[in-house]
Amino acid sequence: MNGIRLVNIDKKLSGTQVLQEFNLNIPGGSFFALLGPSGCGKTTLLRLIAGFEQVDAGKIFLGTEDITNTPINQRRINTVFQNYALFPHLNVFDNIAYGLRLKNFSLKDIKAKVEQVLTAVHMEQFADRDVTLLSGGQQQRVALARAIVNEPAVLLLDEPLAALDLQLREKMLVELIELQSQLKTTFVYVTHDQTEALAVADYMVIMGPQGVIEQVGAPKEIYEYPATSFVANFVGSSNIFQGTLLASEVEEHWELMVDQLGNFSIATHQSEFWMKDGAELLMSVRPEKLVISKVKLTGPKHNFANSVTGTVSAIIYHGRSTEYNVSLKTGQLIQIFEQNDQHLVVGDLIDYDDQVYVYWHSNAATLMPR
Amino acid sequence: MSNLKKKFLNQLGFFVGTPAILWQFLFLWVPLIFVLYISFTSAVTPIINSFSFLNLTINNYLELLDFTHLKVILRSLFIASVNTFLCLTIGYPVAYYLALYLKKLKSLALFLLTLPFWINFLVHIYAWFFILERGGLLNQLLIYLGLISEPLTFINSQFATALVMLHVYLPFMIMPIYTVLEKFNKTLIEASLDLGATHGQTFWRVTIPLSFSGIRTGALLVFVMSFGEYAIPILMGGSKTFYVGGLITEYFLIARNMPKGAAFMVLSTLGLGLALILMLGFNLSAKSKTRAKISGAS
Repeated sequence: MNGIRLVNIDKKLSGTQVLQEFNLNIPGGSFFALLGPSGCGKTTLLRLIAGFEQVDAGKIFLGTEDITNTPINQRRINTVFQNYALFPHLNVFDNIAYGLRLKNFSLKDIKAKVEQVLTAVHMEQFADRDVTLLSGGQQQRVALARAIVNEPAVLLLDEPLAALDLQLREKMLVELIELQSQLKTTFVYVTHDQTEALAVADYMVIMGPQGVIEQVGAPKEIYEYPATSFVANFVGSSNIFQGTLLASEVEEHWELMVDQLGNFSIATHQSEFWMKDGAELLMSVRPEKLVISKVKLTGPKHNFANSVTGTVSAIIYHGRSTEYNVSLKTGQLIQIFEQNDQHLVVGDLIDYDDQVYVYWHSNAATLMPR
Repeated sequence: MSNLKKKFLNQLGFFVGTPAILWQFLFLWVPLIFVLYISFTSAVTPIINSFSFLNLTINNYLELLDFTHLKVILRSLFIASVNTFLCLTIGYPVAYYLALYLKKLKSLALFLLTLPFWINFLVHIYAWFFILERGGLLNQLLIYLGLISEPLTFINSQFATALVMLHVYLPFMIMPIYTVLEKFNKTLIEASLDLGATHGQTFWRVTIPLSFSGIRTGALLVFVMSFGEYAIPILMGGSKTFYVGGLITEYFLIARNMPKGAAFMVLSTLGLGLALILMLGFNLSAKSKTRAKISGAS
């Protein structure tokens, strides 16, 4: 399996330092997502790996091979472009056969290979079509086929689904995951859409606005244990409280003392050097891990360790869930997602300006350094 | 919308196009039909008195069917081909650079490209005398550099004709190619390189096919205009070598043999048409060849 290793990469683009001392390991055979806001340098990173741009300093390895100075056309890496970049003067077949013809395959081999990838992307009956007459999703599939037919060691995908509508995007996501598990090729998927990244990736890296790595890990790890407040807010949304950490006698149990709101108990497996008694730090609680109620909940069934009270300031109905914004007495606004698992009963509904209780379990929270 | 208005809108294209069609008919096709008619009349009888189909003759054509006249047509076709080829090889890189690489200086460059059209065509040609004549800039430069000791004769030669024609017609090649390349998606070049092509392969397999419409327009403009060029060969080529334009003028204005001039014009137009059909046919066969390759493969 061929992974990608980036070592101490420096890259300036028109005077701006996009990447500095950048290091990243992309494990071979994985579906790897590069997630970050626009302008964080993720596309530049992809262009460096593909060879469209040259590094100012540092090295790029494909497996054990140093490809820093290998020209684009000799790298065993292919790209699926954001706007597909299909050749308008060639039909579907010739677009896909483009790379094979350059490598002087026999016509018989070309035919066999093209048919195989067309089947893989469910486009068998489109070989003779003019690419300019295809829909966005079909063009996307052709672009994908044109890249994978060359059997690259690494496939780069630059926001491949950005131009598609929601339903098609979800369908293509599933197809991409299937394709990757069949091919076992390393997929590097660049996106600014966190739901896409969470859905497809085996591993992902979150890049901050300045081209720095905020966190690397599996999607679950990143979602459940965001390393920084940037990650907590960029991947999903989060309620962040600032306070002083108090150690307790029980192992893996902590308390966070928050001004005006009191002490919250935290049960976490995290064990970091900055987690020590008296440290000023941040606690993140995901909105869906909060429970909202108009009445005070008691008893073993509602054995929540933590609670705050506040006033409902906004209610947004999303269909499958409802989002509540509750303002606390500190002025902080917290966000709660409530699953709409039952038909809503009229009369018992939470309304604007209601005084509500918000609860969460001690293991729902994650600690982050300030 | 009223029915009448709808009807009017449906026919709008016709109404708008009519003046242009009328114009073309009156000032292009009618004179051409006259010329065609005159080419079958006799030089002896005055044309006005001969509006009778009984007096028509093909003698003018028979007299023109000799090697001397064929040579003039072939020479014109040859210089038009050479000029088209040179304009393409010089003009394409210029258009490519202008469209894909120049950013800040683009409008200035385009302005400079059209600047020659601001100057009268004849002044434009005469300017070359100062460069090419025996005591001209080019000879002075070559003597100064010590490359020659005696001034060379550049003027009154096919070389001078070709050189000035290249200069005059180059923008007609650059402009259409530039227009096409301006809309060219540079990501396609990256896609081609990414798929394993070299820069050369990318140029021939992606850039050229996608700018072909511009090349065709430019080539057509330059070829047709160079074929009928009159002023440049007369002023630069001397009196020894005739091209189509010069010879037609000779018959009409000097020899005062309008029927023969008209017949020669018809013949040369046929020659040009034949050449264009050959070019177009070549183009079509090249296209059908790729089509065959595609359908054979799929």
